[in-house]
Amino acid sequence: MNPPSVQHEKIQDFINELTGFAQTAEQILNEIQEDLEGKKGSFSFFSERMVAIRGTALQLKLDHIAHIAGLGEEIAVKGAVADSRPKIRKCVGSLWDALTTVKYLLVHYDKPTDEEQDILIHRLESTLTSLGGARPTVDESEIEKILKERT
Amino acid sequence: MLQEDVGILVIEDVQAMQVQIRELLTQIGFSRIVVVDNGIEARHVLNNQLIQLILCDWHMTPVTGLELLSYVRSTMSLKRIPFIMVTAENTRSLVLEAVRFGVDDYLLKPLTSDQVGNKVYALLIKHQVL
Repeated sequence: MNPPSVQHEKIQDFINELTGFAQTAEQILNEIQEDLEGKKGSFSFFSERMVAIRGTALQLKLDHIAHIAGLGEEIAVKGAVADSRPKIRKCVGSLWDALTTVKYLLVHYDKPTDEEQDILIHRLESTLTSLGGARPTVDESEIEKILKERT
Repeated sequence: MLQEDVGILVIEDVQAMQVQIRELLTQIGFSRIVVVDNGIEARHVLNNQLIQLILCDWHMTPVTGLELLSYVRSTMSLKRIPFIMVTAENTRSLVLEAVRFGVDDYLLKPLTSDQVGNKVYALLIKHQVL
């Protein structure tokens, strides 16, 4: 376990790193907004970076941020294959919310989530459910089993 | 081979994670750790240094972890190097895809030193590196 100062330093490094990603992500969301059907493939960039944020947030024990990043990741996956403009628009709106909240929570990582963020999480979960829900996942023990069955 | 001589290549594009992985590997006694940001640099290292183990993130650009795995498995001089995917990606279909591509093991983030140690030692012993 890292001492608090070391942990703080690592989180600050992550926040600095996230700034670059956030700028690119905002640009991509703007592009999708302007051309919903034509640019929906760009959601894949968003989902991939959200996996990276989720993984790093988990490693830094920022589970609430990891949860929102995970929701953003799944909504972006749905957006990339959405079959109507309203669905794509809904994904874009949700991802703006997710991105803004992740950025805010990272800067204020030592404070618990407030009611506003809880409402947002609930809204993201509802959006994801309305789009068909998250993809099936596996945990470590299932991965072990898959790897054993292979050999 | 002595543990201190084992070359481990880490490919990870998030610097905050690079630091964590290097720390974990150092904690469990490894010292020859090469960390790169992307798959292109990884190919360069693999073709110019002796590497006994690869720890690779999945979602990276311009070369994904899966593409790097495919490159390693299809390159005669590299194909036997143990390859561990280190990722938060736990979507069932994608994990199965990594297994199909020939990944040796899989580390789900968040990583702990015990978890990393167990998998790394087991693979190095299995491949008679240690």
